[in-house]
Amino acid sequence: MTHGRVELLGEVLLRHGISRRSFIKYCTAAASTLALPPGMGAVMAEQLRQAPRPSVVYLSFQECTGCLESLTRSFSPTIESLIFNTISLDYDDTLMAAAGEAAEAARTKAMKDSFGKYVLVVDGSVPTGAGGGYCTAGGRSSVDILREAAKGAAAIVCVGTCSAFGGIPLADPNPTDAWPVGAIVGDKPIINVSGCPPIPEVITGTLLQFVTTGKLPDLDQHRRPKAFFGNTIHDRCYRRPFYDQGKFAKSFDDEGARNGWCLFELGCKGPTTYNACATIKWNGGTSFPIESGHTCIGCAEPGFWDKGSVYSALSTAAWGKSGESRPLEVLELGGAAATVGAVIGAGSAGMSRLRQHRAEHPSNNEPKDG
Amino acid sequence: MNHSAGMSTANLAPAEARTPQARVAGAMRGFAQEIGALSAFRLESCIHCGICADACHFYIATEDPQYTPIWKVEPFKQAYKRESSPFAPLFRLFGFKHEVTADKLAEWQHLLFDSCNMCGRCSLICPMGIDVAALIEQSRHAMFEAGLAPKELYHKASHQQNTGQPEASAEPYRDQLLAIGSRFSVEIPLDKPQAEIMLCVPRTDIEHYPGAVAALARVVKHLGVSATFRSDGLVAENYGYYAGGKEWQRDISLRLIEQAIACGAKTLLVPECGHAYTALRWEAADLYGKPLPFDVRHVTEFLADELHAGRLKLKSAITGKTTFHDPCQLVRKGGVNDAPRALMRAMGIELDELANHGGFSFCCGGGGGVLDIERAAPLRYRAMENKLREIDDTGAATFLTTCSDCRRTFDDAKVHFSWDKKPHSLLELVADNLSPTGT
Amino acid sequence: MDLLGFARGPALKVALAVFCLGVVWRIVGFVLLRIRRDLNKPRASALRYLGSGLLAVGTRSWPHREFIARTGPGEALGYSYHIGLFVMVLLFTPHIVFIGGLLGFTWPGLPSSFITVVSVLTLTLFLAVLFRRVTHPVIRMLSNFDDYFSWFVTMLVIVTGLAATAHLGARYETLLGLHILSFDLLLVWFPFGKLMHAFYLVPSRAINGALLARKGAVS
Repeated sequence: MTHGRVELLGEVLLRHGISRRSFIKYCTAAASTLALPPGMGAVMAEQLRQAPRPSVVYLSFQECTGCLESLTRSFSPTIESLIFNTISLDYDDTLMAAAGEAAEAARTKAMKDSFGKYVLVVDGSVPTGAGGGYCTAGGRSSVDILREAAKGAAAIVCVGTCSAFGGIPLADPNPTDAWPVGAIVGDKPIINVSGCPPIPEVITGTLLQFVTTGKLPDLDQHRRPKAFFGNTIHDRCYRRPFYDQGKFAKSFDDEGARNGWCLFELGCKGPTTYNACATIKWNGGTSFPIESGHTCIGCAEPGFWDKGSVYSALSTAAWGKSGESRPLEVLELGGAAATVGAVIGAGSAGMSRLRQHRAEHPSNNEPKDG
Repeated sequence: MNHSAGMSTANLAPAEARTPQARVAGAMRGFAQEIGALSAFRLESCIHCGICADACHFYIATEDPQYTPIWKVEPFKQAYKRESSPFAPLFRLFGFKHEVTADKLAEWQHLLFDSCNMCGRCSLICPMGIDVAALIEQSRHAMFEAGLAPKELYHKASHQQNTGQPEASAEPYRDQLLAIGSRFSVEIPLDKPQAEIMLCVPRTDIEHYPGAVAALARVVKHLGVSATFRSDGLVAENYGYYAGGKEWQRDISLRLIEQAIACGAKTLLVPECGHAYTALRWEAADLYGKPLPFDVRHVTEFLADELHAGRLKLKSAITGKTTFHDPCQLVRKGGVNDAPRALMRAMGIELDELANHGGFSFCCGGGGGVLDIERAAPLRYRAMENKLREIDDTGAATFLTTCSDCRRTFDDAKVHFSWDKKPHSLLELVADNLSPTGT
Repeated sequence: MDLLGFARGPALKVALAVFCLGVVWRIVGFVLLRIRRDLNKPRASALRYLGSGLLAVGTRSWPHREFIARTGPGEALGYSYHIGLFVMVLLFTPHIVFIGGLLGFTWPGLPSSFITVVSVLTLTLFLAVLFRRVTHPVIRMLSNFDDYFSWFVTMLVIVTGLAATAHLGARYETLLGLHILSFDLLLVWFPFGKLMHAFYLVPSRAINGALLARKGAVS
């Protein structure tokens, strides 16, 4: 709550018992995660302490709440979650204590007070079917809420694959006619922090960078921060040496799997998935899917759910409805094509033989000797 | 070398004046008669690797790429793709392959006749297993139908088809045959109504190597087999085969076939002639339309059998260092691989083999009718140099062969190059070294 | 649908269909032409000469002693890139998985980094072979569009595969998409050009070996 003047973040932190020293330590760690030069940590800390308390409005639409869970699930409270959850978060319908009209009032006030300056964080896709009726809050559709909230936002951070790319709701057959945020809002800077869910440090690291610098980070073609989404899982995977050595697990509990070999044959989408799972990992660096023995399903990529079976390898053909092409389908296709080919071939042979016969026995109006 | 380009320099029989359209129509007719699943498969399989050139002595001698064996059949390939291949309609529709022109055909006469002995060496080297020599033979047929057979071959084929002799002679061959018998004091069995074996004779031997004719008669007499020559089917060579005239080839073979049937022969004995063997042993039945009612054997095959059966005994021949030229049609293409050497071994001859011998022997250079084509002579001599050198390299004093046209080719080279060697007939050597039977 | 999805989805489906249709059309189209029975008496029994034909498939793999000096190096060059191709295509696990997905069975592969080395070698040999084609008078004379385009289409697959592995020139999924798309192109071209020799090789050697053996001729 403000007291008539703009409160600085440093003051808020001090009130919550975070000394200047520990704040610098945190910022140094965060800076190194962002691969910023040494010394930037102290600069970040000073800038942040002098910065006005950043305002964040968090809107959740057609989502499973997994992204928020990821963010708030921590083994020990971290400064970033403290900043995020308690200091900046002016509105989050899951986390905040208020509900109903009181909650909505808090949101509209925050948006008015910080108009043009707040960061709008969105998770969940935006369904446009049934006049927007598949997702409403306070009688208003998510489409309208989003459009209104976007007006005063400094930037929109789409957390999770649903808001970034449409995610699971958008997958075939997309019954709610779901869209990513970027398809609804066209005139505001958007940062996509995709993943299903995204890694918590990736979310907060991205927010922190924006809040510190006021500028968008370097983004890839899908508008994801290159700092976290610049490399594929495959290129950073600790099991890569096994891929290079040709050692692959053939099934989930075979000798190869138990030896921690590469999971390519089991359908790992690591080579075409850009995320920080292999480096930053999950649960404070504990593990990530591949390390735990399961293939990467490519959840940070657009359309990952429709791109083929989770368990069919990246280099398999994929034209069937299920995304896989099984040998039987191939046999049918090949057989049908071969049959047609045989018929055409027989036809062409017949035509050739006819021409041959005609050439051997020219009729009266064809050139003869002399 | 004489690389013709266009109709005006083609080596044609004067009587065969035709319009270009008629020539093309003739060639297409010829190609059509030769196209089948097998020739199609061969033409399809070519991957343009150029390895066949490395087997051909015309290419090796000149390093001229136009003598690449598969290039010699390029018009056939083009016609096949355009007319009969599985995608022929597309080829025609989109103009991917144009119709063979009369000019192109005339250009190719030199390649198909002057620079190819039909020796079959290219068929041994092709990594795809294509029988290139077979395609050459088929292409020659199309050339013949286009009126583009070289005049020398055409005239001889025409004459032989009409009269049984490739050329007119002062005395008919029949009389010359009997005269040889008198001269060499050997009985010539002629026109017996019944015989186990029907004999024929290379006209090259009648004209140039009467000793070989006598040798044949002597050996037959020595073995006491029932054999005869037949006046109406005397000549072994088949100029229809050389010229690519399939119908004439058939007619020429038919003379021998009918005479063999007429005298009830069980065996048609092919004398020392390579192409005669190919024409009779491996092509005659197809042209005849049914399996031959007798066996066709080369004289060396027959003699080797007699040797193995113990009916023929030979004395040691004194020949010094000796080498042997394997006639292509007989050994490489014909399958008469061991018979000549069995005979030589029986005469105590240990051969100093040519670097390329047996089935890999280089052609003498005169095969396929090339010996008869005048304008091909310069090229033929160039191609022969390697062969003569190979013979010289063995250090052999004597060299033998068992084909009269090979002999003729080497004798001609002897004159041209002032070469110090001459070929000898294996048959004559055998006839000179017969051991009395029973001892 | 992105490029990768298109390449391994509808494009691959169409390419496989065209491949099967075209190959069968081409083979049936000439196999059904006239077959002339050989009426001349064979020198060996059918069993023997058919057996010799099968033997010729192997023996024709390398030139006879008399030809080696002239033809060995060129033929060795030709074989070497074929061996490289076979190793790359059939012993690289992602490819094995690809083919296995189509045919229903797989086999063990070689270390992926080894395949990278083989690929680079094969690429070099491919360039060498093109150089030979344009500089050797015989081969240059024989060459037509089919020779150059077949080379190009195969080369494209190799180059895009290596580019994908090396992350050269575009994002990985784009390069992978191009690689699979170039393979689709190869499949579509296959029946119409000299790549058909893959199917012709064994029967051609066998048939001609058998026909020569039928005469007792050298093969």
